[in-house]
Amino acid sequence: MDNKNINSEKSESGKDTDREKSTPVKLIPDTAMQSQEHQNSQEKDINYWQSFRDLYNDPDFIAEKKKEFSPGALDRPDESSFSKFSRRKFLALLSASAAVAASGCSNFRDKGKFVPYNSKPESVTIGNPTYYASTCTGCSSVCGLLIKTLEGRPVKVDGNPDHPVSKGKICAIGQASVMNLYDPERLKNPVSGGNDVTWADADDKIIGELKNAASGGKEIAIVTNSVTSPSGKKLLNEFVTAYPTAKIYSYELVNDSPRNSAWEKCYGQKLYPVIKWNDAKIILSLESDFLGSEGNKVETSRLYSENRDAFNGKEFNRLYSVEGSASVTGLNADYRMILRTDAIEEFVICLLNEFLVKEKISDYAADTGIASKLSSYNLDAFAEANGISKEVLEHLISDLKKNQGSSYVSAGSSLPESTHIAVNLLNEVLGNSKLYSKEVSNVSQIPLSTKAELEDLANDMRSGKVGAVIHYDSNPVYHLPSDLGYAEAIKNISLVISMSEGENESTAVSSYVLPINSMFESWGDFQTRSTFISLQQPVIAPLYNTRQKEEILLTWAKGNKDAFNIDVYHNYIKDNWKAGVLSQNTAEADFMKAWYGALNDGVVSVKKAVVESAGETETVTTPTGFKPEAFTAGSQKMTPGSDFVVLLTRNSSLGDGRFANNGWLQELPKSVSRVAWDNYAAISVQDAKEMGLESNDLIKITTAGGELEIPVFIQPGAAKGVLAIELGYGRSECGTVGKDVGFNANKLMSKNSALTPWLMNDAKVSKAGGTYQIVTTQDHYAFDEPLYKDIQYRREIIQEGTYFGYKENANFLEDRHTKYTEEERDKLKVGSINKQYKHTGTKWGMVIDLNKCTGCNECVAACNVENNIPVVGKEQVGKHRVMQWLRIDRYYAGTPEAPKASFQPMLCQHCDFAPCENVCPVAATTHSPDGINGMAYNRCVGTRYCSNNCPYKVRRFNYFNFRDHFRDSIQQEESFSLMANPEVTVRSRGVMEKCTFCLQRIMDERQMAIQENRQVIGSNVKTACQEACNTNAIAFGDQNDESAEFYKLNNSSLGYSVLEEIKVKPNVTYLAKLRNVYETETEEGHH
Amino acid sequence: MKNFLLDYNLKVRLPILIFVVLAVFVITYYVSYAERMGVGYQPVQPILYSHKLHAGDLKIDCRYCHSDVEKSRQANIPSAKVCMNCHTQARTDRPEIQKLTEYYNKGIPIEWVRIHRVPDFAYFNHSVHVNKGIDCSNCHGDIAGMDVVEQVKDFSMRACLDCHRNPETTIKNIVPGKDAKNINNGPTNCAACHR
Repeated sequence: MDNKNINSEKSESGKDTDREKSTPVKLIPDTAMQSQEHQNSQEKDINYWQSFRDLYNDPDFIAEKKKEFSPGALDRPDESSFSKFSRRKFLALLSASAAVAASGCSNFRDKGKFVPYNSKPESVTIGNPTYYASTCTGCSSVCGLLIKTLEGRPVKVDGNPDHPVSKGKICAIGQASVMNLYDPERLKNPVSGGNDVTWADADDKIIGELKNAASGGKEIAIVTNSVTSPSGKKLLNEFVTAYPTAKIYSYELVNDSPRNSAWEKCYGQKLYPVIKWNDAKIILSLESDFLGSEGNKVETSRLYSENRDAFNGKEFNRLYSVEGSASVTGLNADYRMILRTDAIEEFVICLLNEFLVKEKISDYAADTGIASKLSSYNLDAFAEANGISKEVLEHLISDLKKNQGSSYVSAGSSLPESTHIAVNLLNEVLGNSKLYSKEVSNVSQIPLSTKAELEDLANDMRSGKVGAVIHYDSNPVYHLPSDLGYAEAIKNISLVISMSEGENESTAVSSYVLPINSMFESWGDFQTRSTFISLQQPVIAPLYNTRQKEEILLTWAKGNKDAFNIDVYHNYIKDNWKAGVLSQNTAEADFMKAWYGALNDGVVSVKKAVVESAGETETVTTPTGFKPEAFTAGSQKMTPGSDFVVLLTRNSSLGDGRFANNGWLQELPKSVSRVAWDNYAAISVQDAKEMGLESNDLIKITTAGGELEIPVFIQPGAAKGVLAIELGYGRSECGTVGKDVGFNANKLMSKNSALTPWLMNDAKVSKAGGTYQIVTTQDHYAFDEPLYKDIQYRREIIQEGTYFGYKENANFLEDRHTKYTEEERDKLKVGSINKQYKHTGTKWGMVIDLNKCTGCNECVAACNVENNIPVVGKEQVGKHRVMQWLRIDRYYAGTPEAPKASFQPMLCQHCDFAPCENVCPVAATTHSPDGINGMAYNRCVGTRYCSNNCPYKVRRFNYFNFRDHFRDSIQQEESFSLMANPEVTVRSRGVMEKCTFCLQRIMDERQMAIQENRQVIGSNVKTACQEACNTNAIAFGDQNDESAEFYKLNNSSLGYSVLEEIKVKPNVTYLAKLRNVYETETEEGHH
Repeated sequence: MKNFLLDYNLKVRLPILIFVVLAVFVITYYVSYAERMGVGYQPVQPILYSHKLHAGDLKIDCRYCHSDVEKSRQANIPSAKVCMNCHTQARTDRPEIQKLTEYYNKGIPIEWVRIHRVPDFAYFNHSVHVNKGIDCSNCHGDIAGMDVVEQVKDFSMRACLDCHRNPETTIKNIVPGKDAKNINNGPTNCAACHR
């Protein structure tokens, strides 16, 4: 210490001398001199002084100023005043404590624990998935599932290939259903009056109260969605036996009841038949969105697209569409006629007039009753009045006439019974009853409650006749028309029990809220068709303290809380099957073998006789004869009005709103508008102009049911006077993800609807003032902007031809270049500056057939699940930061009033000369020898140069850790971490990501190839989007394998790549869309 | 001439400081490399299981317990039941076996301390390596000679690439019954391991 002080003193004094001697005189002495001069020779500038001593020129102060340091500054400090804790000691102690702390640490990094099974099930191979067949209960279509589980947790859902209806495919709701299972906001414990209770307590009290209600003669109302399970139906009946005052009410927000009741009037049977869509050469869709949201679209779109394959040797079908909204089906149609929805019935009758009165093509022409009813209608006049192209109508009529017996007219589920009756007659006249399946029929377990029954229920609830209400996994408070008064009536009931997976509007008004198992934790059997029954089995033990809804009801039916055990419903189904479906196996061992076989397959075919002997399923036979009086009796019910038509449609991703808390589904853009996170009133261009509305402007809609303020979205191609709104939004009681997303259009439904609950033509619409921002992932550009107009054709992003043109000349796509001069063609031939790398082994490629692609979004949902895509939320979608690796681009051409649309799935093209790779400063994105443009996330530093340089704009940047950023990091909850696919890295903030061609699946095939000592086989790899595609529009494989089916597709004459001219050589090939327009129009169809 | 403070600091103290800091860093970097890579990591396991006894002296094949190594990307840690295949009979008097039996009977999974680990963003696949004939010992060392297992090889990307580039010199042991000729250079593109 002493040394140091001396040292520093020395150097300080040295510094002084040094400065005086060696530094240039100019610097310091100069200023010193100036200041001296200033002070001595000049008068003091009294404006600038530092202190009074300065101001009054205190001589001491002047003397002090001449020195660098103030007096005393250079005095040695008094060492005795120092702390005895010296600096050395301090440092020594610091290092010693650091050393002690360090020695306490292990020298090796902790790598965690291995926790193997205590006793591993034989079927499980750690790291390899196990698949289970099950059934989806997301809607009443109950499709077959194949659930992929890894170490006991379901991570991916696909269709069960053995299931006769879904055939290996599943809709977006099914794809995303794993998120419902792991939703951290699921109900976890039974709740009574706001407090958690035990199941035993709840059961005990509820059974007591139910018994009281039954003995007191008060009704016990069980409100359920449609029942599709034979065992579930038997259980409900047993419950009614145990509690004789119990009544079952079933409803479905959007259902087929007008279609079915029309069918019953026409043919005397309760259910509409199964349609052989694949036999239909001409399809006329009347406001029927069978490719988008209606019926079982998994089945219909598959059957429809069978006849949209340029290579399977089948003729293309031709789709005509007449509609007021702009639906997916309409935009896929070869001919789309725009017509107010409420004029459709008149259109059908005009068509009938054409065929029966003018052409007399059927025996029904002789029916005077029918003829007299038709006499006042005239198709030409109708077409004239409604602006329908005569030419198109002529095509339609001649097509239907030529294809009698192989065409099909489909009326939408929202149309009223009278329209369906007219359509049934039209199909009958055209001989299309051949398309009604004779081999298989629809089956319903319990018919849906009628309007009157539901009204009675509400009245009984008000008058005190009802003692208890059980919401059997249903949400009537939200779903039922508000003028039914259900929400108010339920307040009179002392015992309201809601069974639900999550919080909803009905649980909010319940005295008991009982959490139920998700479909991944449940047993069940389901039947919607006469030929087979499908099974549901749990693939994971209940995550929370939940029970299956059937288990709960079964326990109550047995009247004793101790009747419950975890296998109670499992054994119940097994016993039913032993007595029914599998009754031919008398010995226990045989039965168990058959039972396990059934569980393994997921479906069991049944002969009709077996179903009937099983008991109570309705028998359905093939239609016998049409009753003309069904048509003649009623007068035309639906006549076009002058007010607005409001058309409420089912949302294909949220269903009836029960999936509102599923972020993946909320963020899935709607096929046509590309809007995510909200619903809106789709309004026509003409109406918007007339009312002075822009998209996002709020309007007020008033109907018989109620009124609603909702933003409008200007939808090109919508009919004037039609507002189409999707249902399932505006949930007020829900988890944080779905709460108050969109607008509750159920409010517009009325119990007294003149047409159907989903269609009203007496709506009053006014501008409400104000706006509400809705976000889209793809804006539709101005149609008349010369820069953008038809850019998809001009830049050859979308290439199209006609089916007829293709048959004449299969190479029309190549020959199209004959329009160029020799010189121009030479220019096109100019080679690339890049040297082509020879991919000698496998080279992966994808083919997307635009003929089959309907733009339905299922591939996007599958990709989200497979590749751990986070949900980013509405605000970020609005900033174009949606993270979906695969998007479906929708292009419009023509006029905004009647546009032609094209859909195109767009994903990373894995270009041979990928522009992104050249610009990455850290080589985080590179090419592999098998032609894949890979991303090494841990290498990426987030410059975003690659995205900037990507011509297809398919790269996605993590502007945030979206899992953390969205809704208070709900995606980082523990249960969600179980959902992640462990084969794909979970990306964090600041890295770029994009489609990898499902590299993990390619690696699985590579692993299998090495295990089996063979070459990699391209067709063994199925990407997630390919697996999900209902219509098999996506093919994936090895481009170098000439023997594969994929090779033919990849080198087909219809193939083209997007932005060919920039010569980046994409490995995704699109097959040009062929529009099946009339032969005479083929010329103008070309682009 | 006198030395001034600044001069002294710049010319003498600073270089010495820089040298010392660099030297300490470089020495620490190299000396601790093995540790940082986990080489020599030999944690105490919940049950004192000896690979030397089972795999070495008794010559039980690795794949008896790590049965999924040829089928899956993960070489599984055996469940307690696999141990109990023998130990319901064998050596039931030993305290460690009694501990094991207790775990098994109570249905508690044993929490083994993990020794070998590649980072989460690298996807290593056991089955493709073993099926090609690359013996466990190439990466895991002579486990059959270890009473308590320790990590002997570095599990860095450099180590992976060394083998992928020069398998003929780096791969010492071949799985019995497999042919060394099958072992080609491994892929060295990013997408082979990172996805």
